[in-house]
Amino acid sequence: MIMPELLFFAVCFIVLALCLLFRLIQGPSVVDRAVTADSIDILSDMALILFALYSGRSVFLDIAFITAILGFIGSTIVARYLEGRL
Amino acid sequence: MRIVIDILIVISIFFAFAGVVGMLRMPDSFCRMQSSTNIATLGVLGVIIAGVLYAAFYLHDGAMAVKLVFMGIFYIITNPIAGHAICRGGYKHGVRPTKKYEVDKYGEDMVEE
Repeated sequence: MIMPELLFFAVCFIVLALCLLFRLIQGPSVVDRAVTADSIDILSDMALILFALYSGRSVFLDIAFITAILGFIGSTIVARYLEGRL
Repeated sequence: MRIVIDILIVISIFFAFAGVVGMLRMPDSFCRMQSSTNIATLGVLGVIIAGVLYAAFYLHDGAMAVKLVFMGIFYIITNPIAGHAICRGGYKHGVRPTKKYEVDKYGEDMVEE
């Protein structure tokens, strides 16, 4: 059985991520931008997971997992750079 | 079972929406960081649990369910680490709260160093 509302929920997550673009452009400091980029990463991961469930293909799950790992490494490297130890 | 999956995803979307509104409306960098952690933990958990249920009961795909469980564990472990690291890095870089708070132990320690 295919649940078509999974696509609707994925579109909801994408709309939330597009709302966060405003903060990414306008953010007053570096920390806001880094945290917002991480959040956009996580929201698009959620949309990818829902699309993987909808289509039944697990390739999108791999893509979401790798994107999550890259987001974590990126925010940690930005934190180390701001701390002055890089 | 379909209703349970839908309710879990709707709860997750509600928490993600609350986090996004907090990130757009909060007055301070550290407040915004706190609401981004809201997205990363509560917004993820509902989707992960619903995905495990859907993959196990409808798709009959065990590999997908195990992969989703590992993704959930990864999110739960790494998001507090990233939040803590970027909070400390921002404080050392010079980002301060807009209000002057009464208790600021970390700032006092940094001045003493």
